[in-house]
Amino acid sequence: MDGWILIPIFLPVIAGAALLAFRRGTAGKNSDTGMEDGMSGKAQPESAGELKRLHLLVGAVLFVSALFALAAAWSGERQVTLFYLMADIPIYFRIDQVGALFVTFTSIVWVAVGVYSFVYMKHEGRERQFFGFYLLVYGVLVALDFSGNLVTLYMFYELMSLTSMPLVLHNRSREAVMAALKYLFYSMCGAYCGLFGIFFLYKYCDTLTFTAGGTLNLLLLGENGGLLLVAVFMMILGFGVKAGMLPMHAWLPTAHPVAPSPASAVLSGIIVKAGVLAVFRVIYYVVGPEFIRGTWVQTAWMSLALLTVFMGSLLAYREKVFKKRLAYSTVSQASYILFGLSLLSEAGVTGALLHSVFHAFIKSALFLTAGIFIFQCGKTRVEELRGIGKRMPKTLWCFTFAALALIGIPPASGFISKWYLAQGALEANVGVFGWLGPVVLLISALLTAGYLLPVTVRGFFPGSRAETSKEKAENELGAQAGQEDAEAVREHGGEPALGMLVPLAVMAALAVLLGLFPGALIEYAARIAAAVL
Amino acid sequence: MNAIVMVFVVLFPMAAGVLVPVLPFKNRTRMMIYIEGAVLFNSVLVFAMLLHQPREAFVLLKFTGNLSMSFRLDGLGTVFAAIVSVLWPLATLYAFEYMKQEGHEKIFFMFYTITYGVTLGIALAEDLVTMYCFYEMLSLVTLPLIMHTLSREAILASRTYLYYSMGGAAFAFIGVIFILIYGTTADFVPGGVLDTARVGSPGLLLLVYLLCFLGFSVKAALWPFSSWLPKAGVAPTPVTALLHAVAVVKAGAFTTMRVTYYSFGADFVRGTWVQSVLLCLTVFTIVYGCSRALKETHLKRRLAWSTVSNLSYILFGVALMTPLGLLGALCHMVFHAVMKICAFFCAGAVIHQTGKNYIYELDGIGYRMPKVFAAFTVSAMALMGVPGLCGFISKWKLVQAALESENSLACVGVAALLISALLTAIYMLSVSVRAFFPGGNFDPAGLEGGKDPNWMMLLPLAVFVAVMIGFGLHAQPLVRALESVAAGV
Amino acid sequence: MLDFVQNFPCFSIVSCMFAGIISSALKGKGAKILNLGVLLAVTVMSALTLGYVMDLGESYIYVMGTFSAPWGNELRVGVLEAAMALFFCVIMLLSLMGGQQKLQEEVEEGKQKLYYIMVDLLMSSLLALIYTNDMFTAYVFVEINTISACGLIMIRQWGRTIEAATRYMIMSLLGSGLLLMGLVFLYGLTGHLLMSNIHQGVVHIVEQGEYHIPLMVAIALMCTGLAIKSALFPFHSWLPDAYGYSTVASSAILSSLVSKGYIFLLIKIIYRVIGFDVIQQSKIINVLFVFGLAGMIMGSLSAIKESNIRRMIAFSSVAQIGYIYMGIGLGTEAGMTASVFHVLSHAVTKSMLFIAASGLLQASGDSTDFFDLTGAGFRNKTAGAAFTVGSLSMVGFPMFCGFTSKLLFARAAVDGSWKMLPALIVLAVSTLLNAIYFMKTVIRIYTPLREPAREKRFRKIGIGEQPMNFVALICFILLNVVLGLGAEPLVALLNNGLKMFA
Repeated sequence: MDGWILIPIFLPVIAGAALLAFRRGTAGKNSDTGMEDGMSGKAQPESAGELKRLHLLVGAVLFVSALFALAAAWSGERQVTLFYLMADIPIYFRIDQVGALFVTFTSIVWVAVGVYSFVYMKHEGRERQFFGFYLLVYGVLVALDFSGNLVTLYMFYELMSLTSMPLVLHNRSREAVMAALKYLFYSMCGAYCGLFGIFFLYKYCDTLTFTAGGTLNLLLLGENGGLLLVAVFMMILGFGVKAGMLPMHAWLPTAHPVAPSPASAVLSGIIVKAGVLAVFRVIYYVVGPEFIRGTWVQTAWMSLALLTVFMGSLLAYREKVFKKRLAYSTVSQASYILFGLSLLSEAGVTGALLHSVFHAFIKSALFLTAGIFIFQCGKTRVEELRGIGKRMPKTLWCFTFAALALIGIPPASGFISKWYLAQGALEANVGVFGWLGPVVLLISALLTAGYLLPVTVRGFFPGSRAETSKEKAENELGAQAGQEDAEAVREHGGEPALGMLVPLAVMAALAVLLGLFPGALIEYAARIAAAVL
Repeated sequence: MNAIVMVFVVLFPMAAGVLVPVLPFKNRTRMMIYIEGAVLFNSVLVFAMLLHQPREAFVLLKFTGNLSMSFRLDGLGTVFAAIVSVLWPLATLYAFEYMKQEGHEKIFFMFYTITYGVTLGIALAEDLVTMYCFYEMLSLVTLPLIMHTLSREAILASRTYLYYSMGGAAFAFIGVIFILIYGTTADFVPGGVLDTARVGSPGLLLLVYLLCFLGFSVKAALWPFSSWLPKAGVAPTPVTALLHAVAVVKAGAFTTMRVTYYSFGADFVRGTWVQSVLLCLTVFTIVYGCSRALKETHLKRRLAWSTVSNLSYILFGVALMTPLGLLGALCHMVFHAVMKICAFFCAGAVIHQTGKNYIYELDGIGYRMPKVFAAFTVSAMALMGVPGLCGFISKWKLVQAALESENSLACVGVAALLISALLTAIYMLSVSVRAFFPGGNFDPAGLEGGKDPNWMMLLPLAVFVAVMIGFGLHAQPLVRALESVAAGV
Repeated sequence: MLDFVQNFPCFSIVSCMFAGIISSALKGKGAKILNLGVLLAVTVMSALTLGYVMDLGESYIYVMGTFSAPWGNELRVGVLEAAMALFFCVIMLLSLMGGQQKLQEEVEEGKQKLYYIMVDLLMSSLLALIYTNDMFTAYVFVEINTISACGLIMIRQWGRTIEAATRYMIMSLLGSGLLLMGLVFLYGLTGHLLMSNIHQGVVHIVEQGEYHIPLMVAIALMCTGLAIKSALFPFHSWLPDAYGYSTVASSAILSSLVSKGYIFLLIKIIYRVIGFDVIQQSKIINVLFVFGLAGMIMGSLSAIKESNIRRMIAFSSVAQIGYIYMGIGLGTEAGMTASVFHVLSHAVTKSMLFIAASGLLQASGDSTDFFDLTGAGFRNKTAGAAFTVGSLSMVGFPMFCGFTSKLLFARAAVDGSWKMLPALIVLAVSTLLNAIYFMKTVIRIYTPLREPAREKRFRKIGIGEQPMNFVALICFILLNVVLGLGAEPLVALLNNGLKMFA
């Protein structure tokens, strides 16, 4: 019986749902205040003891489920059929190599960010709710990674959109609610585009169960190839929404600045990858890469991906709000992965998988840094970060390592994945993209350096305080929020608590170390790539 | 013996309803017990009958010539009768609590109970004329229910409703007559009864079919005959929920199914210009209803527009003219009944507890009425078609049928279904989000007094949520049963 | 050898006429009783005649006096005639019963005698129109009919009724003039006045192919004349005032009987005088069809615009007459059956509507304002119920007689000719239009009144207050339902009657 692999799915889901459902129960003695707590804009902190219990519970659940998830992922191929949605469509989980890979980095990041948020969420409040949804999303993500067929994947994909939405609107400001709705509706739009394709695939494929190399039945297809190409393209676009691919990338820069930083971290690091995973599954496990090789779909896909890579970097370069800059960076980086997948070559797929892993750690680290800046001194804009390295050198060092990895400076991890991506572009027979791809990647890397390194440089070397009056005015305007509680900033200006620093350090270290010792990972990714092509 | 039961279940609620204002009840509770008892008894009887499946027909009375009023149970009728008889006792229970504040209860319950019988009459009708008679009766007995508040708005709404339905019936009547003349029999026979030898010019007959379909689809609120439905939202919520999401509108859909698959025959229409016209209209309505719902800020009217759109899912399935299409339509008929009645009951609970009608007033109400809004959210997700809830199943079946039909318009329909799903997500979830996550400057003082209603309202909601999830996860037996119904045509 | 029963038609006509004459010597109360007695007697006689003819299985000819054809005067009695006579008597009785109370209020004490005289004369002329087999006799009774109808309108002495009566008189006389001219043409062509003989003459002419145009002109003249008299659109301008303002019993009688008498005469001309085949070949029938359709729509449209409920019902008559002409215009047996059935069903429904409306108005302070009817259905329950039933029947709601006639019309229309689609669509549209104004009124009368100021002016009318009215309305409702649910024997009877009619 492989039923136990359901534990990492259902344990967090049940625990999260329970946390949400019994919100009033804990405050039952004084139900009125309990409701106020839930409703009012200014959150009332829960009592310290309650908080401790909450953290303990969440931590335990997270840890146990992550352990089970990893155990399930690395104990060989396992499968379980939950129930039948329709006669020939089961809700069915099967752990294969890709799923194992995704579940692993998801779990690591999730636990680390969870620890981080125990501290961080103190200043956001409504922790019960946050952790409730946090656990829910984790369960859903594990299920998504374990999905054994397209409908199961789709089911958890939608559930993920729904459950992760409350993470975005956590602080309840009008912008946050609007951003959350935007996020939700973009995701839904994408999901329905995907569903559109699923309908067609159901008709023309032998089975929707994931099979390396695809299950398309060309006999059944007959003359309808053109139609199916359209459907496949819709699916790429649709699932690409989650991965922030142009033209549906706009939710990312809207959602990230308003979401709590841990939420941003997992959104960028992990949930974006769900889109990648969906595209990967569709193209390599259902449709089959051969079907779209050389068609307009591949061309369009590559063009869109490259365009997104470039535009994302450019927009990030021009952006002044720190978290928004990171969000644009995610747009760009996720499309590296998509570009790698679109090449339909072994090196490309290997690069894409590697970049998925690396980017998960790197981007989480970056967002965690941004969170620390906000938590410790309420700074959200890049200009305000001048000289921050003096006050929190450790944090900034972590940031720097992660940034170097993202830019792709050897020997940090980003270099390896980009190398494979470029190699894939060159070896795949894709005409003009063969050289255009690497060029764009290079330009984007330069831009990445351009938007990340100045933070480090200015953080450590603020230079003279003699700013032009204009800059000063801007600075003041931007720092208004910070000035309001300037006292507090000065008080808390130092290094963050260990609970925040350790997860950050772990992420940053992973980002670098995986670059130094990539052998096993590369081999693993290459095995997957070889299997699907 | 068994066949008499059919007549009994049709006539019994009518009689019981008529007796409501006549009988001297000591107090309200007695009346409630009487009505709920009668309705429950009838439902039990219906189920006993559905399980026994009496095959023979029962002739109640004869009109002129070969026309008669007769009843017979078949697959399609079973489906509709089952939906109706499950929902009616629950809705009645809900209505007891809800109608406390509306007044004129006796009159209300009289017509409410009579409608039960009439709806069953449509389900069990053996032939077109009987069905037509009950269809007309349905318009009439539901009229006082819409008028209930007797406000100017209600009167206007009831008038609009009546004009639309009677006009629709008048055009449907043309089709009925043609079947009487050109059909081998007026009874419902899977595959149609059209006597092809006698059909002189199929062109004319197609036109008549179109008129007939459109006539019956007025009750199913097909565009351009949809505006009565949102207006009728002024009725008390048990009416909007049960009648304007289930009984009346589904009767419209049901009659179109009968006419299409059992009288004219789908083969006759498939591939003709009429099918294209119908597909275009239904596809348009699917999107149109959703967009109007999006624009609407009145919660019940928004749900009503959503119903418009969802009913066209059913009609779209019907218009595919294939057994698979009918299967999809039937699935959606069953599931939409549950989803929408649940959503309406939630809206009604809000009105009952707080008197709030507009969506912008609902900020933060999810904390006062968590159970109600949990149910609302589930039904919202089901309507969107989240897998694991029942809406996905019917959507899947519809799309499958559309793709199998190899009709290019059907592919457009698939796109329309998905656009509609997205719009549904927007207009339903934005309500949930508002309720659970009010903006930061939200003032809880405005919500004083609102709390979850009592068990009479919550029990139906709980049942519906259970059904939505249950069928979402395990729809196989139901789908198989519906398949056997659809396979007959 | 004559059976005794065979004399009954003649007796009915004559007794009605004598009742009128005797009444002039009686007082109001006596006239009323005499009228009632005669009507009852005629009802019984008609019923017996009907039974007799049904047994006989064919129509018989009753020669008046000793002159035989082609000089003498004849009555011809078949199932259809007897049925019509019976039916007309019943409606007449019920209408008088229902309108009696109002009559006493609205008509001066001294004039009530006159009213009953007029009713007697009207009845006798109607019976004569039904039974006669002689064109000239028909013409004479048409004139008597016109005069007595005028009297019925005018009896309520009020500016509007006098104007209405004058208008009615002018239009009616125009109609009878045209009828007379047509008759003269026919006489010139065939040299006969007895219907059967004219028919032979016409057949002969048609066979010879002679006098085509004069024959057509004659048909056209007669049709137009009777169309004017029975208020076919566009000759309906006299109708709303005449029905809308006269006393309620008159409205009921006029709308349900008088115009129907003319229509019956027209059917007789079509079948018996000219011959169905000839009529079918002439295009005149198509003209009737088209005007019938136009009437169905235009009558209803006018009714929608009308706010005075009595006038609204009057306009609805225009539409219903349109139905009948549409059925005739279809030019088929089935269409004719439907038309004849509709004559009956409309008579039942329309007189009920008029009486019910009057009851509702009474409960609303006799106001002509539509909004004063608010809640009238609660104040006068019988009238409210009857009005609802009548409205539903008019809309063609199943189980009421309007549905049966709609069904018959629609089935008749589906004959594959070019008339099929227009007829069906107009039928549907007209149903919708009917629904609009009738259901609007029904909703109005069942909307409770919430203005106490207005409520004071109104009064409740219980059943005990107007027992006759109550009984009449209940009878009407029952008739309506019976015709709606069990029309089968009647339709068979009418079919049978039409067969032996020619």
